[in-house]
Amino acid sequence: MSQSSAMQGRFWSFDRAWPWLLPMVAMLLVFTVYPLLYNIWLSFHEYAPLKRRLVYVGFENWQTLFADARMWASLGVTLFYFVVVLIIQLVLGMALALLLDSDDPGMGFLRGVLTLTLVVPPAITGMMFLLMEDPEFGVLSWFLEQIGLLTSSTPILATPATALWGVVLADVWQWTPFMVLIFLAGLRSLPPEPYEAATLDGASAMQIFRRITLPLMNKVIAVAVLIRGIDLFRMFDYVFVMTSGGPGTTTYTLSLYAWQQTFSFIKWGYGATISLLALVIILVIANLFIYIAKVRW
Amino acid sequence: MVRSKSQRMVRMILAWIVVGLFFFPLYYWMTVAFKEGREIFDIPPRVFNFTPTMKNFEEVFGISFGFGFGEQREVLPGGGNWYMTPRLLDSIIIAVGSTALAIAISTFASYALSRMDFRGRHHFVGWVLSTRMMPPVAVAIPMFFMFRDFGLMDTHFGIILIHALMNLPLAVLLLKSFFDDIPREIDESAIIDGASRFLIFRRVVFPMAKGGIAATAVLCFIFSWTEFLFVLTLTQTGLKTVPVVASTFVTSTGTAWGNMAALGTAAMIPAFIFILLVQKQLVRGLTLGSLKQ
Amino acid sequence: MRDSDRKQYLAGLTDRYVNRRIGRRDFLRNAGLLGLGAGALGSGMTRPFFGVSQAFAQDNGLTPSKDILDWVRDVSKPFAGKTLRLATESTPPSNAINSQLKKYFEEASGMKVEIEVLPLEQVLQKMTLDIASQLGSYDLYYIDQSWAASVSNDVFDPREQIAASADLAMPNYNIDDFLPALVDGIAKYGDRWVGVPYDIPIFMMMYRKDIYEKMGFKAPGTLEEYYDQAKAISKEMGPDMYGATGQMKSGHYSLECDWTAWLWGHGGSIFTPDGKFSGNDEEGLAAMEYWTRLKETMPPGVTGWTWDGQGQSVAQGVAATMMSWGEFFPYFDDPSATKVSGLMEAVRCPKPKKALRTVDQTGYGEIPGVGHQGGSSLAVSKNSKNPDAAWIFMQWATCADTQSLITALGGGTGPTRNSVYDDPRVVANRRVGPGTTRHLDVVRETIAKDMGSEPDLPQWAELSNDTIPVRLGKYFAGEYSSAKEAMDDIAQATDKIVAG
Repeated sequence: MSQSSAMQGRFWSFDRAWPWLLPMVAMLLVFTVYPLLYNIWLSFHEYAPLKRRLVYVGFENWQTLFADARMWASLGVTLFYFVVVLIIQLVLGMALALLLDSDDPGMGFLRGVLTLTLVVPPAITGMMFLLMEDPEFGVLSWFLEQIGLLTSSTPILATPATALWGVVLADVWQWTPFMVLIFLAGLRSLPPEPYEAATLDGASAMQIFRRITLPLMNKVIAVAVLIRGIDLFRMFDYVFVMTSGGPGTTTYTLSLYAWQQTFSFIKWGYGATISLLALVIILVIANLFIYIAKVRW
Repeated sequence: MVRSKSQRMVRMILAWIVVGLFFFPLYYWMTVAFKEGREIFDIPPRVFNFTPTMKNFEEVFGISFGFGFGEQREVLPGGGNWYMTPRLLDSIIIAVGSTALAIAISTFASYALSRMDFRGRHHFVGWVLSTRMMPPVAVAIPMFFMFRDFGLMDTHFGIILIHALMNLPLAVLLLKSFFDDIPREIDESAIIDGASRFLIFRRVVFPMAKGGIAATAVLCFIFSWTEFLFVLTLTQTGLKTVPVVASTFVTSTGTAWGNMAALGTAAMIPAFIFILLVQKQLVRGLTLGSLKQ
Repeated sequence: MRDSDRKQYLAGLTDRYVNRRIGRRDFLRNAGLLGLGAGALGSGMTRPFFGVSQAFAQDNGLTPSKDILDWVRDVSKPFAGKTLRLATESTPPSNAINSQLKKYFEEASGMKVEIEVLPLEQVLQKMTLDIASQLGSYDLYYIDQSWAASVSNDVFDPREQIAASADLAMPNYNIDDFLPALVDGIAKYGDRWVGVPYDIPIFMMMYRKDIYEKMGFKAPGTLEEYYDQAKAISKEMGPDMYGATGQMKSGHYSLECDWTAWLWGHGGSIFTPDGKFSGNDEEGLAAMEYWTRLKETMPPGVTGWTWDGQGQSVAQGVAATMMSWGEFFPYFDDPSATKVSGLMEAVRCPKPKKALRTVDQTGYGEIPGVGHQGGSSLAVSKNSKNPDAAWIFMQWATCADTQSLITALGGGTGPTRNSVYDDPRVVANRRVGPGTTRHLDVVRETIAKDMGSEPDLPQWAELSNDTIPVRLGKYFAGEYSSAKEAMDDIAQATDKIVAG
């Protein structure tokens, strides 16, 4: 029948996409476009504490930004952290998802327990790991000393070589289950037919994973990587609580730097400028990823 | 896939060990909640052999376990009043409210994005995703002025709105990928039968995607439950959520580790209940094979 | 400190009973008010101290003076129903007011007081947003001394308030009672008072009496003597006991606090009179040389610790001495939280190695002194919609009576008023136990004689939280070849920031 084509003519029709999208678009426009424009405006201003208002400074913030060695160092730390943690969480998350994708007794319980790490606010997670990695009183430091991996004179979070890894540990602990949760939802929705066919053909587990699971999961993986990647690039809580960016600047991330400029030094303009740079970089990275991974939404 | 019994055993043991490793920090944090101050810092650290006390919980929740329940008690650690029960309620209201809102808006949107072709859809989705990329620090200050002008400052509704918003890109993307997994043929055959789009959405696609929606809801809940900066900036004395009040345990006279751990431990419970409730849907999962028949 | 006052007063009560100053019947009656039988007293003394303090506090005269509440009732009539807001750091006075005392004020005045407790930098942020947006959502500001310069024009000078509205001035408020050194160091910016001094954490020397006796040491008189003692303790009693400790977390304000104490103690200063950084001069480098040596006697973890870790290292018996915030002292006496209850002794900081510089020899109002202070002031905001009501609250919160209660109930925090040190309710707590006040004489003496105050300039927040502690952190992580290189780097960065 031509009922559907008749409906397409009507403006207020659920056959059109826009009534479905309207609430979301309205919210996103109001609450994201305004902050973006405001930040662009703000990046040409600076808060003058003695005048107690914002004054126009032209391109000064942008000039400072590109000449700021601290900013470049933080960008380096952020990118390193981003790549390392994303890879660890992706690989570990996939491995754990495959491990737990089973209906054997107890597996459901284990999946539930694993998601518990996500429930802890990151700021509290930072405090947890700060306590565990304390060189004097920490259970993790104590354990590592017992098995001889660490001496008491190398505090994990205050030694340049290890500090970032101490932070990475907290992040991996907290967010690998996020990957597991998403991958599991994806794995559980895979159709069984290709697997049956492949098993009949005598394919190995590795072959099945590479030829069937990965391609079928590609969109779920892409979503997980994008969401996690974006959040990793903005990571702030752990370094703020655990290391204050130290020792020196070895764990200073871009977000921490922007936070500090904005909140501690009340340099809103410069804070906004750093944030805009961060936004541009992550936009480029994300779009590059979408292009290379051939994701079509 | 058929696996031998010993393979299954190995897998089970491995799963328990790995999850156990992930659980250990939580376990240790819980022991801190049950320890007196001096035991938290014993050397070597006390993992199992400590004397449990309810003191930290009594101080944080105004509950005296020897004397029954009470309302606000004056507790004075360094003069502190760490009565957190109302803050836990704030957290629950905000997390549940914002999850419901985010899911309601995003299921609609992602259904359209999954089923209807329109020009520029790929870029439209890209734009939705990009709204999550702004560092929260940069959003906080404009939001402050906006909330002031709209009268949303220091209200539950305002925080629910901003948390829902923060979760929209994640929810839309995830749900879209789950909807994409449901074959379009189902919709098309229903349309031929004369069903409207809205009816299909409500009666056919929505129930089928329940597992995916549940997973998304869990994540939205978690992100709202743990969000720090917006609540910090956009509230004053009217409400506060757990992550923000947890920071008040770091005082000028040292950190109240036991109390902080007690709050952290107690705050896991409502979130865990939510996850368990939703987990039923999750475990059932999407079984596409059965749908296709 | 980190314990309930219940415990403290029960302990006091038991003391008095044991010493036969009160009869058995009174004792049992009071214990009954605490909701426990005499049998429970012997069994742990941990649980039953909650929710009964009010009865007990009243019984012990730890409630606000009636005269003052009457005055509050009297002047507040036009303001009944108003709400006052204050954002503050989590410090003992604010917490004591919030949890224990504000209800008396609310009852008497008919006003509502809402106190928002936040981490320090959030307090600054909220205050700045409030000022920039003229929102007036906070009626009172809690002002860390380092912000005094930035906000001095946004708050009322309390002396002007007294002069301007005599009908609202509290009788016997006695603004001259505030310790003069604190007024200079905390409240004053130029000629204006940026509020009144509200809390005063200050450096003093705290050491383990038992260890010092065993080693045959007396409290250190000079910094060099202190180093020798710390070194000897680490050598004799190590590796599980260290002679000194520190708050030396890279990039954290606490590291800067430690630095200034050593710098000033070696006759150095942060700035020269013409506003140039002078931590890299001869005295500055002598301080660094001393500090580097002293660090060898500290636990290796100090580079990851703020004051919390530092305090714990003493509390758990890892370090024998600590020259740092005196606010920790009452905590050390709490046997449920620490292993050193009753073992600690407080004295003034050791004498500087070289004569302190005078204020004229430094810049931006910096006051050299080994006793580094980190105080704050409380002031009424000019953006407040109810400045008169806020002024009433402020007078009540900072009057001698309330301040005495804060010290007694808030766990032995250092008072900012002279008369509070001699208040009988404060003096009564000079015994070993949580919330002790037996260190307060040393606090008063330190404030009068040893106090060091950081400079006042708008850029100080950035310098003290970032520029200086990040580079000092790099130095202790071994990223500079010498102290001189580190200090020269700080000098260059600081001068650039100050120049704007």
